[in-house]
Amino acid sequence: ASFLTKKLNIGGKRVNLAIWDTAGQERFHALGPIYYRDSNGAILVYDITDEDSFQKVKNWVKELRKMLGNEICLCIVGNKIDLEKERHVSIQEAESYAESVGAKHYHTSAKQNKGIEELFLDLCKRMIETAQVDERAKGNGSSQPGAARRGVQIIDDEPQVQSSGGGCCSSG
Amino acid sequence: HFLVCYLINRKKMSLKSERRGIHVDQSELLCKKGCGYYGNPAWQGFCSKCWREEYHKARQKQIQEDWELAERLQREEEEAFASSQTSQGAQSLTFSKFEEKKTNEKTRKVTTVKKFFSASSRVGSKKAEIQEAKAPSPSINRQTSIETDRVSKEFIEFLKTFHKTGQEIYKQTKMFLEAMHYKRNLSTTWDSSCVQNNYKNLTKKKKKRKRMPPERVEKIMDQIEKYIMTRLYKYVFCPETTDDEKKDLAVQKRIRALHWVTPQMLCVPVNEEIPEVSDMVVKAITDIIEMDSKRVPRDKLACITKCSKHIFNAIKITKDEPASADDFLPTLIYIVLKGNPPRLQSNIQYITRFCNPSRLMSGEDGYYFTNLCCAVTFIEKLDAQSLNLSQEDFDRYMSGQTSPRKQESENWSPDACLGVKQMYKNLDLLSQLNERQERIMNEAKKLEKDLIDWTDGIAKKVQDIVEKCPLEIKPPNQSLAAIDSENVENDKLPPPLQPQVYAG
Repeated sequence: ASFLTKKLNIGGKRVNLAIWDTAGQERFHALGPIYYRDSNGAILVYDITDEDSFQKVKNWVKELRKMLGNEICLCIVGNKIDLEKERHVSIQEAESYAESVGAKHYHTSAKQNKGIEELFLDLCKRMIETAQVDERAKGNGSSQPGAARRGVQIIDDEPQVQSSGGGCCSSG
Repeated sequence: HFLVCYLINRKKMSLKSERRGIHVDQSELLCKKGCGYYGNPAWQGFCSKCWREEYHKARQKQIQEDWELAERLQREEEEAFASSQTSQGAQSLTFSKFEEKKTNEKTRKVTTVKKFFSASSRVGSKKAEIQEAKAPSPSINRQTSIETDRVSKEFIEFLKTFHKTGQEIYKQTKMFLEAMHYKRNLSTTWDSSCVQNNYKNLTKKKKKRKRMPPERVEKIMDQIEKYIMTRLYKYVFCPETTDDEKKDLAVQKRIRALHWVTPQMLCVPVNEEIPEVSDMVVKAITDIIEMDSKRVPRDKLACITKCSKHIFNAIKITKDEPASADDFLPTLIYIVLKGNPPRLQSNIQYITRFCNPSRLMSGEDGYYFTNLCCAVTFIEKLDAQSLNLSQEDFDRYMSGQTSPRKQESENWSPDACLGVKQMYKNLDLLSQLNERQERIMNEAKKLEKDLIDWTDGIAKKVQDIVEKCPLEIKPPNQSLAAIDSENVENDKLPPPLQPQVYAG
């Protein structure tokens, strides 16, 4: 599915995640801002067997940082770790890149449902932290810091996650 | 006498516009009130500002008079008809139908008009114009007021279940509505922020009081939204102060110009040849068109969501797996192109301005609405590259010189009905199948022959080899045979170990 909501309880706080899938094709790239404005976090997925998809993630990171600054929590996710043998993107390269842009790197396998629960929980915690820092910075001026925002955004640059993408979230 | 001057005015207007076609005088284009701005025939020759002033000033007075007037006119009309043509059956006509008739039969009445021409100078022509502008309003007014009444009643019924709180909410919304009525002439953005603030305040208040569960607050907010927006719809949907209407027309024109876009160009993962799928596509188109007929923003959103669900179903049936956004967005674009929903921009603007923001920012409805916005943006900006076409092809299709569809469907006449087309397609498929069947049969026969040849060949080869090196059985090797005979020594080995049970 391309839209999901998920209720989580993190440290006694009730969190409602709205997870949006966005169309990843090149021709829809220009529509990105309509999707990701007002979002708290983005999950950028690449295929570890596909070097090209990792390059596209880099483009997305650049754009998101440019448009939304540091308010957005970025997760870079290397998917398909069940195909470790065919890996074309080195772990070290990916992790050091993620660190250099202030993002966190995760390894998942949507097919085997590995690492996804952790990814979402971790992202959630980070988003709450960011929102709280934001709130403190703004002081008492604004009454609704992150409340009006939308939730997580999935920007999916992986060629074919359709078959497995749905399973990972619903089974979690 | 209203009838008379109204008709005369119509005549004058039509004469004027005829003349305008040949010779345009600068002074005729200016606002009639002489404010220096240009007027617009759609606003009776006033500029937008003067027209609004005139319109609203007249409206207050006019609304009350309209009905009396309508009745009087009808009576007069009936009499006139009775004298000229006896069996016209005009009695049963409602006012709006009567209006229509009047325009249709204008030519016939010219003589009557001429007779009364002298009388027209008595009443100022300005009032007649206003009358003309107002003319269709009674019927619309009545329609909307029926719906407004129904919604109001529902709202009051709903609030009754909340007793005291309900009363307070009613008071607040009523006050808000009255305030809005007075300030109606202000800009739409201001209206929008007003409505949004109202939502926010009401939600906050309700949350503070009594700690109501959020689901309940949401329900109340929905009802309030419904009530307010039904009442304000007339004034805030596609208002004159914005260029929504212009944008609507632009989008509509754009979609019409893109009529040649095929699902293949957009990579739409939907196969409309499957009857179930084409059914879903039709339903989705119906839903997106229906959006325009709803008045409450939430109902409009519900239409979009319903449309999206049908699209998902269509994709699911075609691909046999759940759809992702990669499939959904192109399909939505295709549906919008195919349906060309009326007043698309106005509807999007209206929802953005007046929907409860909490609904728009999160939740499923918001997601689908965002996708619709994306689809519209894509259609507006669409170029050759985004359809994987060469610039020349794109230009040719846009100018209408050629159509990609035509090349495909040359086999049958273009005006054949859907069933016939389907039949041709099926025949085509059948002949293709036949061809393939024959090919398979040939291949199978060849395979059979090959197999026979192969076994023969192998048998022959084996034969050859056997002949070449005949099998000779040599006498058994003596030393190897001796291994078994030496078994005698085994008796000297200790017996195999037996499992033992230890007690304790």
